[in-house]
Amino acid sequence: MDVFKSFATPSGMWNPLIWLLVFLILLLIAYLIWLRGESRYKRHTMQVDPFLSGYGPKSKEDLHVRASNIYWGFSTSLKGYYNFLRKIHTGIINDYVGWYVGILAIMLLIYLLWGGL
Amino acid sequence: MPKPNRSFDKSLWIFHVNTGSCNGCDIEILAALTPRYDVERFGIKLVGSPRHADALLVTGPVSRDMVDKLKRFYEQVPDPKVVIVVGSCGISGGVFHESYDLVGPVDRIIPVDVYVPGCPPRPEAIIDGVVKAWMKLERLRGENR
Repeated sequence: MDVFKSFATPSGMWNPLIWLLVFLILLLIAYLIWLRGESRYKRHTMQVDPFLSGYGPKSKEDLHVRASNIYWGFSTSLKGYYNFLRKIHTGIINDYVGWYVGILAIMLLIYLLWGGL
Repeated sequence: MPKPNRSFDKSLWIFHVNTGSCNGCDIEILAALTPRYDVERFGIKLVGSPRHADALLVTGPVSRDMVDKLKRFYEQVPDPKVVIVVGSCGISGGVFHESYDLVGPVDRIIPVDVYVPGCPPRPEAIIDGVVKAWMKLERLRGENR
């Protein structure tokens, strides 16, 4: 068919109308499956809560996998280092400027002594 | 998994909850499921979530820790629903009626439709109670349609 040939590309055939048709068919199938589901649940009641052996649903914050969970191994094995870093992060700008000036002074000293002016 | 369609209404899916039973009644419920009685051939089946159930089957007196959970189990069963209490403990507290940890019989916490007395009741009695609950459920369904 010409309509299919016109959309032939080196990596296959691309026809947005066919994709739209497939999408609509899938949508219809999903809707039919949804129709066959349990319809007796009352909205905004416990009936729509997930079943967690009788416990109430937890907040999203408690269930969420945090970024810190991903590097838990690092932070646990390097505990001493992280604890030290946490301690020096006071949140006071004077401390940060103090660290900045102090490190700058040490680097300047090193440079002056061994840098070879 | 919710029932696929209306024809499965003929089956009774039950969620069993133990609110502090000694397990005697639970063993009798299991006996009703074993080949000697085999209630599954009538479509009576235990399910893993109250959200999939038509009926709540409770054994044991209600211990303090189970009050909120029992209320939640009851709320999570879609309407119309029935509650069956199996065993003397759930009906009156039974041998535990003076326990410090007992909040009360099941009907003090949630409404109960069918009581099956016994310590423990025989599987025949449990099946009889389930059938009575089923008849009530059919009646409730008829009223709602």
